[in-house]
Amino acid sequence: MTNFVKNSLKNSWIELAARWILGATFIYASYSKILAPAVFSKIIYGYGLFPEILINLLAIILPFVELIAGLALIIGFYPRSAALIINAMLLAFIISLSINIIRGHEFDCGCFAIDANSQSTFSGPLLIRDIIYFSLGIYVFLFRNPRRLCMCSN
Amino acid sequence: MKLLKEVSIILTISFVAAFAVNYFSPAGIALVGQWDTSEGVVTAKKKNDIVGDGIEIGTVDLARKLYDTGGYIFVDARSTEDYEEGHIKGALSLPVGQFEDKIAAFMERHPPEVSIVTYCSGRTCEDSHYLAEYLMASGYDKISIFIDGFPGWEVEGHPID
Repeated sequence: MTNFVKNSLKNSWIELAARWILGATFIYASYSKILAPAVFSKIIYGYGLFPEILINLLAIILPFVELIAGLALIIGFYPRSAALIINAMLLAFIISLSINIIRGHEFDCGCFAIDANSQSTFSGPLLIRDIIYFSLGIYVFLFRNPRRLCMCSN
Repeated sequence: MKLLKEVSIILTISFVAAFAVNYFSPAGIALVGQWDTSEGVVTAKKKNDIVGDGIEIGTVDLARKLYDTGGYIFVDARSTEDYEEGHIKGALSLPVGQFEDKIAAFMERHPPEVSIVTYCSGRTCEDSHYLAEYLMASGYDKISIFIDGFPGWEVEGHPID
């Protein structure tokens, strides 16, 4: 069983699937934020964690880091670095969600579809989902065999 | 070291794309927003905002004075459900999300000369600003925005329905 798991993890098709799932997820997540930065900035404000001067900059930059890192994963442009960036974002999301869960602060996660009128959702499942994505990111980062459909040399 | 270089390349592409798109997109926002409720309504500040804070009514007392003159139509920008749950007594409902559907009927009843006060749910809500912007585009030019909205009005014990 352990060998089976080990062999599967070395399988380049599995790596490709992980990379594409993660990449597609982040491209999808960036879409509505790019279309409506004003709405997204308000969601960031709603987290109640960031200094006022950074809120707009985060709303402008973050969606494009998601988009470009997601694209990089899919086409295999520096996939290890793209996975590293995506995991840094996931870690930030996980920390922000956790802080707000712990202090019982109600907020709209703004993860995918953003809607100014949406109600805050229960954050537990979001946290679990982010942790799953985070493990995919670690896997893509650590994968050392030749990758399929990749612009990369490693 | 190689990783650091690659990460920098991806981030640089992202940053350049982000600021370029924000600069050219009509939906782009200012680099620094207004996020202090004591200063007024929180907003990312769109680059091409036509509604300035010059038409904001900054206190509940002032809104009440205008209300008491009877010369102002109060228009509620919130959703129909919120309006039905409670609104400023005598206010009309014109949810900003249904503006296109409802403006024709509104214009039939109210000529462009009327004075309007828009409001929504307070200083974390921009809907009253959007409504003011849309109403201006429809030809109404005597518009003020009551930024403390329904919560501010209700808390001070002013008439509600």
